[in-house]
Amino acid sequence: MNGRHRGKDGVLVRLSLGALLSVALVAVAAAASFVLPPLVQPASSERHAGKVIWADLVTPDLAAAKRFYGALFGWSFNDIHTGASDYSVALLDGRPVGGLYQHTLRSGEQRQPAWLTFISVRDVADAEHSILAHGGKLLAPPRLYAERGRQAVFADPQGAVFAVLQSSSGDPEDVLAAPGEWIWSSVLTRDPDQDAAFYQNVFGYEVFEMPGEDGAMHIVLSSEDVARASLNTLPAGGAAKRHPHWLNFVRVTSATDTITRVASLGGRVLVQPFRDRHGGLVAVVADPAGAPFGLLEWTDADSKDTAK
Amino acid sequence: MKILMNRRSRRALILAWLAALAGCVAGGGYGGGASVGYDVGFYEPYGYDYGGWGPGYGVGLPRRGYDRGGRPDDRAGRADGHAAPHPAYRPASASRPMPSLPSRSRGR
Repeated sequence: MNGRHRGKDGVLVRLSLGALLSVALVAVAAAASFVLPPLVQPASSERHAGKVIWADLVTPDLAAAKRFYGALFGWSFNDIHTGASDYSVALLDGRPVGGLYQHTLRSGEQRQPAWLTFISVRDVADAEHSILAHGGKLLAPPRLYAERGRQAVFADPQGAVFAVLQSSSGDPEDVLAAPGEWIWSSVLTRDPDQDAAFYQNVFGYEVFEMPGEDGAMHIVLSSEDVARASLNTLPAGGAAKRHPHWLNFVRVTSATDTITRVASLGGRVLVQPFRDRHGGLVAVVADPAGAPFGLLEWTDADSKDTAK
Repeated sequence: MKILMNRRSRRALILAWLAALAGCVAGGGYGGGASVGYDVGFYEPYGYDYGGWGPGYGVGLPRRGYDRGGRPDDRAGRADGHAAPHPAYRPASASRPMPSLPSRSRGR
């Protein structure tokens, strides 16, 4: 009787040990070996602190997202599957333009898929210290990803989520984005004045306020004489559903044509094209999972010096 | 002998639990999701509402060469009608031209 019990106990103990060690090994291996490709190849010594240098989409359906963005912008994809993580690097003409990350939504969970904006920093630890000192909140602690660099995720004092990245391969050069690449970023926030102070203190931006026809605040953040992002008052009305967030814009040659394709590919048009202050059209759309992004028409001539 | 076996088993089980715990911690993640391997696996609060956008709601930037009119910053036209004389940020000097996007294309 005692012998039988000891035998059963032994089997149970061995099974438990095996299961536990398997879980531990799989988790450790997955965490340790997640390698993201470098932003810049070949590596450069360029560093543009304050520049938006990357964007990651968090989506519940990676395959659908790849179909949508591939058909819309001509992006191709390099898949990275490690342990429990499915990630895909989006490429345009062989250049990395962003990442797509599969993250399962629990049944009944209402959360918002979104593009996460990455801002270049010289040192993530210094940035973390400054962000927390100026009222930001840490969401994902600094972590080093082999080849890509060190990154961390934060929320600004108004709640808009962004990431900082200390790229291991240097930053992408400061050139005009090609059609199909990210060209512009905006922070839609309740208090652009306070948020501008936050981003200025953390990233050292110069701050320019634009006159607004609509009575809202429009602030441009710049570094190295290059405009990096705008801060805008969230439009009035329906405030309950409006939380501060970053919104990134892809350069397009025709916003009107692009929204037609968005709709045919299963996306939605959130803001119909309208003329922005540079004379080109701007629109806001969402991919099939609901992640919003902007479209911005910009011609090469818009960047030429036309000083009066 | 029985006591010895139990101690060994207990020790082994405790070590295994600790190893499993370490593995989970290494996986990390925010928002309680299964983000083992990559730390951006979380979603924003649900629901964006883009009503209220339209002509006049400029999110973009001016073309290069935009004339700032010599103002350090323009605080007219605020939604609340009260131009705050001292913004929370340090406005760019009046002599600074409004920045725009790079004019150089890739490879040129």
